[in-house]
Formats: sequence, structure tokens, C-alpha cells
Amino acid sequence: MYTKVVHMALFKEEQLDHAAESIARLRSLGVSDRDISVISGIPFSEKILDRPMNWTNVGRIGIAGAILGFITALLLNFGTPFLYPLRVADMPIFFPIPTSIVVTFELVMLGLLISTFIGVFVETISPSYGPQGYHPKVSDGHIAVLFSGPMDLDQQFHSTFAELGATLEHDVEEEKLWL
Amino acid sequence: MAEVSKGIAEKWGLVVDQDRCTGCNACVVACSMENNVPFTGEDNVAFGRGTYWIYNKRMWEGNYPEVAPAFQPVMCQQCGSAPCEPVCPTFAAVHSEEEQINLQIYNRCIGTRYCANNCPYHARQFNFEDPNIPEPMNSYLNPDVTVRRRGVMEKCTFCVQRIVAGRQTASAEDRSLRDGEVMPACVAACPSGALVFGDLSDPNSRVSQMAQNERQYKLMDELGTRPKVTYLKGGGRNGG
Amino acid sequence: MAAETKLFGKLKTTEQEHEDPKEQLMFDPRPREELNRMVMEMMTTTTRKFWLWAIGLGAGVAVLLFGAWGYMISTGMWVTGLRRPIYWGVFIVTFVFWIGISHAGTFVSAILRVFKSEFRRPFTRAAELMTTFGLAAGALYPLIHLGRVWVFYFMVPYPNARWLWPNFRSPLVWDLLAITTYLLSSTIYLYLPLVPDLAMARDRTTGLRHTAYKILALGWRGTEAEWFRLKKAIQIFAFAIIPVMFSVHTIVSWDFAVSQVAGWHSTIFGPYFIIGAILSGVSAVVTILYVLRSTLKHMDYFLRPEHFDALGKLILVFSMSWAYFFFNDYLLGWYGGEAAVRQILTLHASGPAAWVWYTMLICNIVIPWLTLWNRKIRRTPWLMFIITLLINVGMYLERYTIIPLTLGHQRTPFDWGVYTPQPVEISIVLGTFCLFTFLYLIMSRLIPLVPVWEVQEGQVAHTLRKVGKAEVPSVTELD
Repeated sequence: MYTKVVHMALFKEEQLDHAAESIARLRSLGVSDRDISVISGIPFSEKILDRPMNWTNVGRIGIAGAILGFITALLLNFGTPFLYPLRVADMPIFFPIPTSIVVTFELVMLGLLISTFIGVFVETISPSYGPQGYHPKVSDGHIAVLFSGPMDLDQQFHSTFAELGATLEHDVEEEKLWL
Repeated sequence: MAEVSKGIAEKWGLVVDQDRCTGCNACVVACSMENNVPFTGEDNVAFGRGTYWIYNKRMWEGNYPEVAPAFQPVMCQQCGSAPCEPVCPTFAAVHSEEEQINLQIYNRCIGTRYCANNCPYHARQFNFEDPNIPEPMNSYLNPDVTVRRRGVMEKCTFCVQRIVAGRQTASAEDRSLRDGEVMPACVAACPSGALVFGDLSDPNSRVSQMAQNERQYKLMDELGTRPKVTYLKGGGRNGG
Repeated sequence: MAAETKLFGKLKTTEQEHEDPKEQLMFDPRPREELNRMVMEMMTTTTRKFWLWAIGLGAGVAVLLFGAWGYMISTGMWVTGLRRPIYWGVFIVTFVFWIGISHAGTFVSAILRVFKSEFRRPFTRAAELMTTFGLAAGALYPLIHLGRVWVFYFMVPYPNARWLWPNFRSPLVWDLLAITTYLLSSTIYLYLPLVPDLAMARDRTTGLRHTAYKILALGWRGTEAEWFRLKKAIQIFAFAIIPVMFSVHTIVSWDFAVSQVAGWHSTIFGPYFIIGAILSGVSAVVTILYVLRSTLKHMDYFLRPEHFDALGKLILVFSMSWAYFFFNDYLLGWYGGEAAVRQILTLHASGPAAWVWYTMLICNIVIPWLTLWNRKIRRTPWLMFIITLLINVGMYLERYTIIPLTLGHQRTPFDWGVYTPQPVEISIVLGTFCLFTFLYLIMSRLIPLVPVWEVQEGQVAHTLRKVGKAEVPSVTELD
């Protein structure tokens, strides 16, 4: 498995149009979208940069958590009085609906929110594909376009980015930003 | 075994004849001795922390000089639909399906005092401090009843220890309980017979018949608590 | 705002005409590098005054809160002023107060985010911190007021050797679940938008701080996938935490409403408490924002009179809503409720503690309605500080009216009583205020208080557009 050489072009925060333009030019030079990744200090939607749509499983994980919460609530509302019936105030044990039904809402929301967070966490620490690389200037508002392409197009990359006013860095190492 | 369905379940009940009550407070003393009720002292009672399970509400009627007291002994009404029960987070206040009274289970109580707030009769008492019973005073304690420490709620139990003891005696002798055999301490101590205790599910028992007296009323029954204690309206004779 | 409407042919000459859009944060953009520098300096600049406050408050927490509480646990609840028939006193009053304050953060960061109110941008995190610490302070009270706090775990639902689940019909168990849900959700909701700013802090620090930020930032780079995922999660949270917020205070209000206590058994308690909580919370946000603006370096760039103005308008609206619900509850009880309720209302208005009731009405209704309609007052931070402080005093007294005053005057005159808070209770209450402020102080040194990426995002989205002859502010939707 050969590791691709990653280049990074840094645009200043005002140069958003130039960054979008540079991505279009990269695509015309034959670099596929899978070999391009854009990192920035504020979110830009895919339409602004003309990139393929993103996807995430966070929503589905959230729903799964909500269902788990609902099942737990059913167990607590109906299962516990069924197994350990204790009579209070002449209320029926759980038929048709116990007054404890209120906890259903809380447990569903708890399930939804905790699992959404777990989804974000798991997705964040899972390995991501596409060019790796980072520059601290990104958190200062710069937009970095990371791409990898064939060596012979190097000259053209240089000229494209110089024209658009970006600084180009070659051979970007994958930085260990987490554990 | 009493059936558990709305409004039909009956068992132990009490009738208080206000016409006979003299306000002597013998019931209060007897209850405190039987149930190891802590004596909190004069200052605490004045502050509002008396722990008496039964107390005699004295109400003055009339204008001077024709002033007369009316006495109303109030204890836990053992409601059929008790407001104190559903609000306890640990099931310390539950309904006994066998005896059809309201139980207070000290070991489960964590002292949220929600039940006391929700009791319309203010019949529940909270132990704000540990009982101070130095030796050899503790020899008066009734061994059939626990001594509660601070932080738990307590209330009248219709002397459930006597009910259980009566049941055990009856089953040992292979018979059923007779009417009037089990008497809580207050009932036993009342000199004028104002308190009557018995089995409400038995139509022939003395308490069932007295509960149908034309003078009968229940405290705050418009709240829907279905109390097991029936009061008979006094005629102002105060036992005389 | 800047685009004036011509009314009856006359041009309205208000201060708005002379206002420079550059006075607003969104139209006063600075390079992100400078914003980052300001926020990092805000976090790391610690003066001697800070240390004095921190030590003082820390001592307050240790002595007033934990010291007094430890004393109460070891000697018993008799040190409180509780007595028959008032079994709930200032502990529960303060509990409801703190849960009310905690609605601040969710309102600002969730509801305003859902409604796309741009003015929320600089202070969402400060408000979210209030939620987390308000809940931390409030969640202590269900433990503090217990008679036997060492067996509090009886209330926790888990399979145990006692063969007992807690009573899920009890509103106190609903409280436990609701507050746990809200505390966890709001901590996560604080954390998620914090991640990009932690990444920024990671890039600008060294040593222990750097390591801590590195771990917490989860390796954030700012890729499109990361932003997309974050925005999706924040959206889910924003929409979901609003019903959680409503349900938490509804459940707290049901501690009272499900009982048969005269004056408590009212169906309007749910919405009444929620509106009261939002009023209390948003007022507390303004109070805290004033303190932040006066004490933190560079905060006057981020928090401007426009924010106090916008929040002031909200507070006025909520004060009116609160008055509406208050009226709905009490007018109807007074008109034709049971005799006990009518007597309680008379007691509130004319009894020995009537000063509580009148102070509450003055602070919650009279003062906001007299002042907050005025733009100049709303844009004066120190005036807003005083007004909102008084509103919170009024809200605290409202809960005091509802709990001890009502419990002491129920249906049977034989059982009436008067409750007086004792020194131990007052000490613990003050201790939790110290705890809240102390935690907030410490946190302001540990995380960037302003969500810089959101501020910059807003600044990028705000432009001045020429419409006709006027330059009009316009906001673009970047997503």
C-alpha cells in the first residue's frame, strides 16, 4: 500500500472564493474529490466549496439510543410493578397505564442524547480517509486545502495556487493530534 | 382475604364517638407508651415538633361565658386512597392489602417528608432528632415495636403489632378473630369508650354498626381519601 | 433597525438613525487570529482580585456549604426551622430556584439557536455554563433535605438485594431522572460546540494545558466531515434539549401540583413554573454577563449594549407572560376555589409575611414593566444588572410564597404554623451560591468562555447591503 504524498495549500480567511476556485481547478487537473480534503476554522457548507455531500450516522445512532431508552422505560414502568407489586393509594398496579408513565419521556430523551454524543465520539475517533494533515493556522481562520496528486503535475499545482494567492506546502506529515 | 378492588376493600376501622370523648388524653399517653413514641419535650412541642401519633384537637365553641370545648382525637385515618402513598420515592408508605391499613416502613424511609406534606390530616410525624432514653429508662420500651432514629417518618399504625399478635393467637387456637379481641392501645385506654375498633368488612361487628349511625361523618372526605376512621358528631355533652 | 420606515411622511428621528452598524458585534469583524488571541488572553489573564474572590468563595463553599451540611448530617434535621406542618422549607425553595436558573443556558443556546437569533452568538457558552453549574448546585438539594441522606441510593433505580425498585409514581423519582437527564445533556451540549475552540486552545498552549486540551479536542482538525457531524449533533441537541428543559421544570412543579395541598393542586403549575424559570434564568444570564463584561479582559468587545438590549426585551416579554400565568393561577383560586385556597391568598396578601408577596410582585412585575420598555435603560449594562438581580430576588420570594407560606396554612386551623429559616439553612443556601460562583470562576480559567468559531461564523454571514438608498444589514444563511 503506497502512501500518497499530501500537499497543503493555505488560504487566508478572506480568500474563500479563491479556495473554492482552487478546488475546481484541482478537479480539472484530474485530482479526484476523494484525494481532496478541506479543513477550516468555521464550517462551510458543501455547496459553497462545490464538494460532494457529507454523511454521518449520528442521527441513526441517536434514534437507536432513543429506542433503547423507550424499552428501558417500558421495563421500569410495567416490568417492575409486575415483578414486585406494591399497592399505593388504590391505584391499579399498571393497568391500563401507570402514573409512572412520565419517566418514559425522560428516558427516551436520555437515550437519544447520550447515544448522539457517543455517536459523535465514536465517529470522531474512527480513522478518516482522505488526505491527513493539519496546520495550526487553520484554527486562526485559515482555510487549508489538502490534496494528493501525481508528481508530474507538481509544476501545475504550484502555478495554480500561486495565481490564487495561497502558500503551498509539500509532503505534509500526518500529525498525531489525539492519543 | 379482602378483595382488592376500588372502594370495596375493607378491614380494620375505627369509630370515634365525640359525644363520649372527655378530652382526657389517656389515648395519647397509651399510644406513646405502646409504640415507643419519643418524648420530644415541652420546647419542641411548642415549636411544632411534637411526635404524638394521636392528638386531641380541642376546639372552643361559643362565646364567653358559655364556652364549651369540643374534642376530636385525630390519628392516621388509614385512608383507602391515601395521598401519602404514591409520593414516597422508596415505597416506605404502602398499603397493606391484607389488613387494609396504611403502612409506614421505617427501614425504607429516607426522610424526604413528602408524605407528611401530602397528608391532609397532618397525621404524620417526623423524627427530627434521635430519642434520648438513658439507662435504665429504656426498660419501659415495648419490645414489639422498633425505636425509630432521626430522619424517618412515623405515624399511627392501628397498633399493627397487636393486630398481628391477635391473628397469631387466633390461628394458634384454630379459630377466627372475635369482634373486640384486638384493641389498639388508644381504644383499650379510653375510659369512656369513645374509641371503638373492629373489622369493617364484618357487618355484624360493633364498629360497622356504629359507623352507620346517623351522626357519622368522615374528616375531609370531600378530598376522596376514603378514611377508615368514622367520627360521630358530638352533642356537646362531653361524656356527661 | 437601520432601515427606517417612513411614518405618515415624517422620518423617525430616533437614535437608530445615527447608530453606526459597526457598534454591533456582527458588523465589527476582526481577523480570527485576533479574536483567538483575545479569548486566550481572557482565559489566561488572572489578576490578584480574581485570586481573592476564588479563595474567598472556596472558603465559603467549604464552610457555609459543606461545613454546615456536615453539621446537619451529624446532629440531625432539628437544626432547621422545619416543623409541623411545614416540612419543606428554604432547601426546596432554593432547589426550585437553581433548577430555574439552569433554564438560562438552554434557552439561550438552544431556543435562540433554533430561532436563528444572531445576537446569541457571543454568550451561548457563558449561559450553558450557568445551566451546568446551576444544576450542580440544585442537584445537591434533593440530598441536603433528606432526613437520612446516607441511604439516598434507595431512590436510584438499579436491581438490588432489597428486591425494591424505587416508586416510579413518585414525583421525586421523576425529579431524579429528569435532573440527571438534563445535567448530562447540558454538559454534552456545552462540550460539543466547545470542541473547535478547544482545538484552537490546543494550538496556542503548551504543557499541561496543552495536553488537557489535546485530549478533550478529540483530534479536531476542522475537516468538512467533522464540521458536518458536529453541526448535525448540535442540531439534534438543540431541538431535543428544549423539550427536556420544559419537562424538567414541569416535573419539578409536579412535586407540588400532584399533591392535594390547598394552593398546590393546580393544573397551571407546569407552564407557570416554566415561564418563571425562563424569566429567572434569562435575568441571571444578564446578571452574569454584566459581571463577565466588567471583569474579563476583552469581554467588552464581545458583549455589547445590543446584547443587553435584546435580552432585556426578552425579559420584558417573559415578565408579562409570568404575570399572565400568576394571574391565571391566583385569580381563579380567589374567585371560586375552595375555602382553604381563598384563605391562603388572603394570607399571602395581608398576613404577617405579606411583605414577601408584595416584594415579589414589585420585583417581578412593577420594576421590569416600568424600565424594560425603554431602550436607553436596556442598553445600560449596570442598570440591567440591578434590574435582573431584583427580578431574581422576586423569583426566589415567589417560590418562598408557594412553599413554606402555603404549607403553613392548610385546611385545619389547628394545624397552622409559621416557618422561620434557621442559621444552618441560610448558611447552606448561601453556600450553594458560593459554589455556583466558585465553579464559574474556576471554569472561566479553564475553557474559552466565548465561542469564537460561532462569532466568526456570524461575522462572515453579516454584511451591509445596499437596498435603495440605504445600507441595510443582511444576514446570509451559510448552511
